[in-house]
Amino acid sequence: MRIMIVEDDAALARGVARILESEGYAVDVVARGEQAILAAEQERFDLVMLDVGLPGMDGFEVLRRLRAQAERVPVLLLTARDEIDDRVHGLDLGADDYVAKPFAMSELAARVRALIRRSQAQAGPKVVHGPLLLDTVARRAFLNGEPLELAGREWAVLEVLLAKVERVVSKEVIIQAVANWGEELSLNAIEVYVSRLRAKLEPAGIRIRTVRGFGYMLEEHKAV
Amino acid sequence: MSVQSLRGQLLRQLLPPVAALLALATVIAYYPTIEPATAAYDQALIDVGLALGDRIQINGGKYSLDLPDAAERVLRTDRYDAIYFHVAAPDGGHIAGDQGLPPPPPDKTPQDHIIAYDGIYAGKDLRIVAVLVPCDGKRCLVQVAETTNKRERLLRYIVLSSLVPTVLIALATLLIVWFGVKRGLEPLDLLSEEIKRRSPRDLRPVQAAAAPEETKPLVNALNALLEEVAQANQNQQRFLANAAHQLRTPLAGLQAHTELALAQPVPEGCRAELEQVHLATVRTARLANQLLALARAEPGGGFAAGLGATDLRQLVQGAADEWVHRAMERDLDLGFDLAEARVRGDAFLLREALANLVHNSLEHTPPGGHVTVHTTVRAEDRRPILEVEDDGPGIPPAERERVLERFYRIPGTTGTGSGLGLAIVREIAGLHGAEVEIGTPRAGGRGCRVSLIFPPAPQP
Repeated sequence: MRIMIVEDDAALARGVARILESEGYAVDVVARGEQAILAAEQERFDLVMLDVGLPGMDGFEVLRRLRAQAERVPVLLLTARDEIDDRVHGLDLGADDYVAKPFAMSELAARVRALIRRSQAQAGPKVVHGPLLLDTVARRAFLNGEPLELAGREWAVLEVLLAKVERVVSKEVIIQAVANWGEELSLNAIEVYVSRLRAKLEPAGIRIRTVRGFGYMLEEHKAV
Repeated sequence: MSVQSLRGQLLRQLLPPVAALLALATVIAYYPTIEPATAAYDQALIDVGLALGDRIQINGGKYSLDLPDAAERVLRTDRYDAIYFHVAAPDGGHIAGDQGLPPPPPDKTPQDHIIAYDGIYAGKDLRIVAVLVPCDGKRCLVQVAETTNKRERLLRYIVLSSLVPTVLIALATLLIVWFGVKRGLEPLDLLSEEIKRRSPRDLRPVQAAAAPEETKPLVNALNALLEEVAQANQNQQRFLANAAHQLRTPLAGLQAHTELALAQPVPEGCRAELEQVHLATVRTARLANQLLALARAEPGGGFAAGLGATDLRQLVQGAADEWVHRAMERDLDLGFDLAEARVRGDAFLLREALANLVHNSLEHTPPGGHVTVHTTVRAEDRRPILEVEDDGPGIPPAERERVLERFYRIPGTTGTGSGLGLAIVREIAGLHGAEVEIGTPRAGGRGCRVSLIFPPAPQP
């Protein structure tokens, strides 16, 4: 797994690089947007971590040019809180996620893992979350290597949550992703599916947290 | 410089010349009138003198005046004045009348044998006419005199009749000046009213269009000053914003490295120190964010209220991730109760206000507690509300005003904050015309509730 960090603050870049390296990633650090574009043309990266406030060509411009390239590399924006405008918020520019500076390393590492997992899922048919394995082509799930029965709706809800590990997903978003055309699904129905999923996954240490009045969050699986 | 009213000064400067003009006008009106009037009165006396001269009789060198008593009574009768006369023989001897009338002044040469002059008799001012009349080939002196009552009356009359209109004109002039100045200064009054009404945040130029030509230099100078202040203000805000902004990247680096260090096996003593460094870093980063928010919320900070419509619910939903993790770390139940609530405002600042409220609740609620974020539109007055409630220790009523002040912290509390959080909330609320209400949870029980009550949003 190869990650490019585009960050002009050397101390921050080095710190982040060391953490990611300690998790087993290969890390390249560049300080300027132009270098990032060049590097992305020549090498293949599994993730680009991009600072918005770069000197010279800023992060938004770098992102635009990265998106113009053939291969779609996942991009995680590093941004100061006051730079989180609606563009970043809506990820309109084609970024996959963002983290506000300053950030806790644990949170950053979790986002990186989630993004890489997600892009792999899009690239390949298999999604892994701790002891859980989803074969999205065969539509079969395995828990600790054992086949796991999932009803259609349960499968759909789990897919939505798996795409956003460690992120809160609102019930509305889940309904939109799960409901068929012209079908009305109640919030209660979602609760039912989630509680069934919990019953099946929690014994294996996979936790779905309820965020009261809002939605659910699939916690990152921590190996014990 | 002594403070003087423009009006007072104008009047003071106008008054002496107007008074002088008044006096001059009176004098000018006096002479052309008084001369012929005096001449006419004199002529009447002369006529009497000539008539008396005709009545002088000479009998053998002896002079007498043929004046019956009735005629003398007629002669002496006058409504206003006492009349005197004296007839003297050519040798100066007394013939008839009041003796002792002042003689004509010797320096006056009688023209046509008639002299008019002033004198005093029996303690009274007199106008006297002396007439030399032919008598027996010689000349007798006839004097006729009268007191000056009539003449003084005439004088008073003339002075009054010329003075009154002049005084009226002068008064009218002064009044016109008084009200003219008042009217002329009206635009200045309007200007000062406009400036008085302004909020100290409003540094836009004053409208010069309606101001009269003469006040334009003042308005322009004022506008130039306002612009400079706004510019200076903006520079200061920009500096603060930049400084705060620039601080965050190195702080992120610092945080990264302390976390890295903590992730490695370190001696126990070192670990405690490192943890302190880490905590301080996180706090400093938070402070940088708060300073940035304050800079943005102040005049010239680029606040753009009224530009965007923001749904408070979406605002909360977008930021929820950040807090959920923190709540989990602290074993708090963070919940939401969200309904659509649209307000006009600055999304960044509103997010910042919200972040401060949630941070406070997460910080002060003991583990196991509940924190809830509400957004709603109040049914009775359609006012959008953003509210954060917790079941922590709450804020005593006596402290509720003070906690909104900058850098104020409730004595005896152990929080790690800077005391800026609620001050920022108040600042941002103020910018949006919202009220900050601090109380206890609506459902009752102990805890803290902070509500931002926004003005009703305009219908889309």
